[in-house]
Amino acid sequence: MKSVTQQVNNTATGSETTKNAGVTNTRETKQTTGKQLVAIIFILSLATKMFMLPVFLIQETGRDGYIVLALYGAFDLLTLVPIIIAVRMADVDMFELLSSVLGRVGAKITVGVFWLFLFFKLNMSVSEILTFYNTNILTEFDTSMMLIVLLVFLAAVGTHTLRALSRLNEILAPVIVVCLAVLVAIVLMTRFDFANILPAVADGKRFSSALVKHPAWVGDFAPLLLFVGRTKTKKRTWCFAAGSGVIGTSVAVFFAIAMSAAFGNVPELVDATTNISNILQFSVGNVYGRIDMFSSVLWSVSVFIEAGLFFYATARCASFVIGKSAHFIISIGNCVMVYIVQIFAFTDPMYFSVTVTSYVCAIGTAAVAVIMPCLVIVCAAVYKRQKRLSKVGEN
Amino acid sequence: MTTRKKHLIYKAALFLFAFIVAFLPSTALRNKEVNSRVIVGILGLDGDGDKVSLTAQYVMPKESQGTTGKDTVTVEGKTLDEAAENLNTALGRRVELGHCSMVIVGSDAKVELLGSLMTATDVTADVWMAAADGKAKDLIGKLTDFMKKTGSTDADFIAYSARKAHIATNTLLGFLSDLGSASKTAYIPLVEMKSEQSEQGGNGGSGGGGSDGGGEQSGGDQSGGEQGGGKQEPSGMKVEKLAVYGENGRRCVLDSKSARGVAWVSAPVEKGTVCSDVEYEGEIIKGVCGRLLKKYASVSVDEKNNTATIKIKAFIEPHGDKFNKLFAANSKKADEALIAGYKKKIKGEVESAYYDSLLSMVDPLFIGREAYRYHPKFYKNSYDYYSISVKYDIQVSLK
Repeated sequence: MKSVTQQVNNTATGSETTKNAGVTNTRETKQTTGKQLVAIIFILSLATKMFMLPVFLIQETGRDGYIVLALYGAFDLLTLVPIIIAVRMADVDMFELLSSVLGRVGAKITVGVFWLFLFFKLNMSVSEILTFYNTNILTEFDTSMMLIVLLVFLAAVGTHTLRALSRLNEILAPVIVVCLAVLVAIVLMTRFDFANILPAVADGKRFSSALVKHPAWVGDFAPLLLFVGRTKTKKRTWCFAAGSGVIGTSVAVFFAIAMSAAFGNVPELVDATTNISNILQFSVGNVYGRIDMFSSVLWSVSVFIEAGLFFYATARCASFVIGKSAHFIISIGNCVMVYIVQIFAFTDPMYFSVTVTSYVCAIGTAAVAVIMPCLVIVCAAVYKRQKRLSKVGEN
Repeated sequence: MTTRKKHLIYKAALFLFAFIVAFLPSTALRNKEVNSRVIVGILGLDGDGDKVSLTAQYVMPKESQGTTGKDTVTVEGKTLDEAAENLNTALGRRVELGHCSMVIVGSDAKVELLGSLMTATDVTADVWMAAADGKAKDLIGKLTDFMKKTGSTDADFIAYSARKAHIATNTLLGFLSDLGSASKTAYIPLVEMKSEQSEQGGNGGSGGGGSDGGGEQSGGDQSGGEQGGGKQEPSGMKVEKLAVYGENGRRCVLDSKSARGVAWVSAPVEKGTVCSDVEYEGEIIKGVCGRLLKKYASVSVDEKNNTATIKIKAFIEPHGDKFNKLFAANSKKADEALIAGYKKKIKGEVESAYYDSLLSMVDPLFIGREAYRYHPKFYKNSYDYYSISVKYDIQVSLK
């Protein structure tokens, strides 16, 4: 009989792998590859950091918004280190590690807290997607309808394996990279006045206020804990994974610099409609046509991937806490909860803004983003030791 | 649930997703959507006392392919939002401002309206800005007549100036950003219409703006509709002057010489023609022209000496008509003479821009902004635009 963790992760024995070959929920121990991990790290490092966060930061601190974002990026890169180490160390997945070290109840409580964190981050990314499309692309399309379409995609992600999502990301990542390259080229070709980000930290109070209020945007790498014990890695995967995170964060910071330079003098004018696409051409006017719009729309797909990964992680954590592997039902339940939060709370930008900038969310998110990877590392070390000791005992 | 059933559910969900995306209201009802809109190409902004006046040059898409001809409409409101709403009512369709490629600002329009224009309407940040000498409404009327006459469909003719001419252009966000900078100054090119006497119904009278001695029409925003029995018809545009704004609105209009000076320093201009009188072996050769290939400009502030240095490096390709012989005989001397001539010309234009700006208490060369960026303490404690001494470092390279 399979353990709960095996059921949660769709893992099983080798014979079952053969038996269920070709089934939607492919049953295999190592679901993802190192390449896929690298690609997903790149997407996670920049996706939501390029949406609403620069807007909020510029509104709060003006031309210094990019520094705050860079600090958050650096914070996230630090949390990526223990995650990469955990992926490298552990042979079993996160749920099994926690269960073996903390006990069944302890593991469930820990995963419950992690679920809360993931659910909050999921709602943030969904809210950002809705805001982006509502204000820029599908301005007359009903929000609730748009949300249903998005939830159909998320539900599909929730019922599939990590491998399926990783493969989807593997296909889309090159397209996103090309679009980002186009956007970067446009910014550079238009002789953007980057000097407008100076002087740095002219108003220390506003800067520290922005820094303290927005940590809800950190912890984007946390769902990668689901990759622990389930990723086939090679010798240099770790270098590429770290490099991918650094490059992705640099891209996000680059665009934040462009936004801060554009709106540094007029932070009161920045809003959800003035995303990166909108400000690209302001320095020279609409000279290059709307290639920027095309690129932005494709680039926005990256947030779908991030939302998908958060949804997947949320569903699997819920599955572990409940102790059932009814992924379809759990995904539907998740969707209903997301729908309720979005329609009854976050459709009002004021609620969203107040919630995500509250100290509770800021401290909670930052704490979970640091503690969870560290805890998993500790558990992995303890698990290894236990295993070694039991082997010694057997001998 | 069996795997087969699950597959069926997934497929049905995917089909539903594809169906919804494919038949979104904006796709399925595209014709209906287009036919219920008005596309605005140029938007004019005037302030009339406490009222805001919006003038739109628009086309209406037809049910079949194509659009109606260009036309204009003017509406008023107490606020910009109200005026924008009245625009919808006046045309009986939803006004699409996202395609607007130019905003024309009348001489009496308040600058704070431009911020509202960006945040409260669909007008995009990269829309070109142009200034009218008088009312934006009048200029748009004449522009519309001119565009009808020439069959021009593209409203963003300022884009030509931005790329090919030595004119300091600006976009909406660029303008607002400049105005919000430490210099508190922004500029917009002033668009004037040239006009000519039509023969229609005319009796050969010579009223209105004819040509001046130099063969160039006097231009200007000539408001006379019919003079001397003949109708004034727009025959072209003139974009030479620069309307300069401070926090409280339009402060001055710089003449073409000063406007060129601003373009040398503050605008990303890299094209255009430079003409100068050149002194060669005691002889003054008039109007030696060259094509600007590239330029670099910077303003630096020295807080210790309370000076600002405007540095320009221009790469110019001289037209060979007047100097071909000289090049053959003594190219080095001719080069030096040319470089000296162009340097003098560029310096004269930049100096003119600086002194004209001082008189109007504006800073379109953005000396204050540079002081704030690189010496914020100096800017806060002791910077004074009127006491700072300005030096010019002009370098010219011939290609």
